[in-house]
Amino acid sequence: MVLEQDLVRHLVEASVTVELATPDMTLNIGPQHPSTHGVLRLVAKVDGERTTDVQPVIGYMHRGYEKISEVRTYPQITALINRIDWVSGYANEIPFIVAAERLMELEVPERAQYIRLILTEMARISSHLVFMASYPLELGAATPLFFALRDRERVLDLLESVTGGRFHPNFNRIGGVKPALGSGSATRKMIQDLPKTFLPETRDAMDKVLATCDEIEDLVAGNEIILARTRGIGVIPPDVAAAYGLSGPNMRASGVQFDLRKVSDYLPYDKFSFDIPIGTAGDCWDRWYVRLAEIRQSARIIQQAVDGIPAGPLQAKVPKIIKVPKGETYVRAENPKGEMGYYLVSDGGQGPYRLKIRSASFSNISILPWILEGTLIPDIIAIMGSLDFVLGDVDR
Amino acid sequence: MSSSPSEVTLSLDELATSVATATGGVVTMTFGTAKVKVSPEAWVSALTTARDDFGLVFFSWLSAVDWTNEVQVGDPLVEPVEERYELIAAVSDLTAGNILLFTTDLPKAGPRIASLVGVYAGANWHEREAHEMFGIDFIGHPNLIKLYLPDGFEGYPLQKSYPLLTREVKPWPGTVDVEGMPGQMGESSDEPSEENPEA
Repeated sequence: MVLEQDLVRHLVEASVTVELATPDMTLNIGPQHPSTHGVLRLVAKVDGERTTDVQPVIGYMHRGYEKISEVRTYPQITALINRIDWVSGYANEIPFIVAAERLMELEVPERAQYIRLILTEMARISSHLVFMASYPLELGAATPLFFALRDRERVLDLLESVTGGRFHPNFNRIGGVKPALGSGSATRKMIQDLPKTFLPETRDAMDKVLATCDEIEDLVAGNEIILARTRGIGVIPPDVAAAYGLSGPNMRASGVQFDLRKVSDYLPYDKFSFDIPIGTAGDCWDRWYVRLAEIRQSARIIQQAVDGIPAGPLQAKVPKIIKVPKGETYVRAENPKGEMGYYLVSDGGQGPYRLKIRSASFSNISILPWILEGTLIPDIIAIMGSLDFVLGDVDR
Repeated sequence: MSSSPSEVTLSLDELATSVATATGGVVTMTFGTAKVKVSPEAWVSALTTARDDFGLVFFSWLSAVDWTNEVQVGDPLVEPVEERYELIAAVSDLTAGNILLFTTDLPKAGPRIASLVGVYAGANWHEREAHEMFGIDFIGHPNLIKLYLPDGFEGYPLQKSYPLLTREVKPWPGTVDVEGMPGQMGESSDEPSEENPEA
């Protein structure tokens, strides 16, 4: 009897001191998950519905552009770098071309600069519209996709009418832009300027884009489910954003009023008036809203540029075989995804000695382990989607 | 957010000069890009000073340049250089848009340097990339494993001594690529094509 009592007491004590073992489960998300915008794998350790540790695995799309660039000529490289961030291929070309022009000390004609600027802002609109389409979709709302992609098509048609390409225009040349292909496939004559109807059509399209922004805002901003899933989720404080090198809309959503279009001179943005929309909370909702506001600002810039575009040549005088003089420079630009830059080291040859590509999405998702620790599993999708990355831009 | 302690906005020149004075570095300005060269021992302290005293809080990128006289890919350098790795970290402010490139020279044999992860959290992935691509060791890095490359990968692809394997298989420009179409053999190539007579 005494023995039995001892045993009971022993068991009671044991139940107090020994906890039930609940090992964390490892959950693989991707590499083929639709919300990963390419092939990104997340190795998440989860304790119930909460994550304890998330490690992204990247490199599935690493194409080694920095190495290939060392055996390619400058004109060949623009064709490659279109494919870094393929959602806004046109914008990728700008900082590289400007870096080469800076080393060559070329003066680019003003009309060519305006065309670059208009097309860059179109690339921003189309990139942000893809976000407007895909992000609500990831949160379970399918309708905004149809509005956003309809207008993206308008913008891409215009881009195509000038460059001949929807995603990979390869339109910039060192010293200016490529002479545009005339519309009308019967003749396919090379003409030396923009298609005749481009400017009025652009003005129209921008009015439509602005109207669509209002539609999307009505549709999404008033939706309680979207608000519940994004407000206060995935908050990034400004100092953390800066330390991780988050740039573009992701950083501005955290309240940092910084835009390279305002502080650098890679394109003549100083001639136009536009605002830098910023967020206050730095959560998923702000990242969505800042991008919507940026579409409106881009449309505003394009309308001013269309009105003020000067006449003139599209190309500066450049030698037939491009050789870039010896030198080093880093040129960065405000791309739709954030800061994109090229550190170009030339030794005077036909190709770079070294080309370091700084892509926005790489730094933007390097914050994932920090921001996803301790979140709920459904919030992983909401947070990842709000960072708006493209795996081609991560892996290069 | 304005973390710059001084309200006066410095130009890039002035900023580079005062940062160099504070960190014991040497400034070079080339084509609008300011570089501050520091010694490897001063690497972490220089970037800490840049962040804390000069408002350079934004970590843009980190990478390296392999300066070497014998290359496997691309054209060799015209003038011989001192063989070294030039490690570069680019940091920026978030007000005036000034960006500074901190550089330091590492030896070709066994390049090692203290990690910046404690100063800028974003250096984590950039250092992993530089580690796998150049073979640079970052002492004190929390997780110095491969980033892009598969686990068993051997060699450091961005070293100039690393061959580009596709070029080994098929030299450039690939003669196979420009073989004439049947019926066009021997025709002069500067005759305008039917498809694009004005090209």
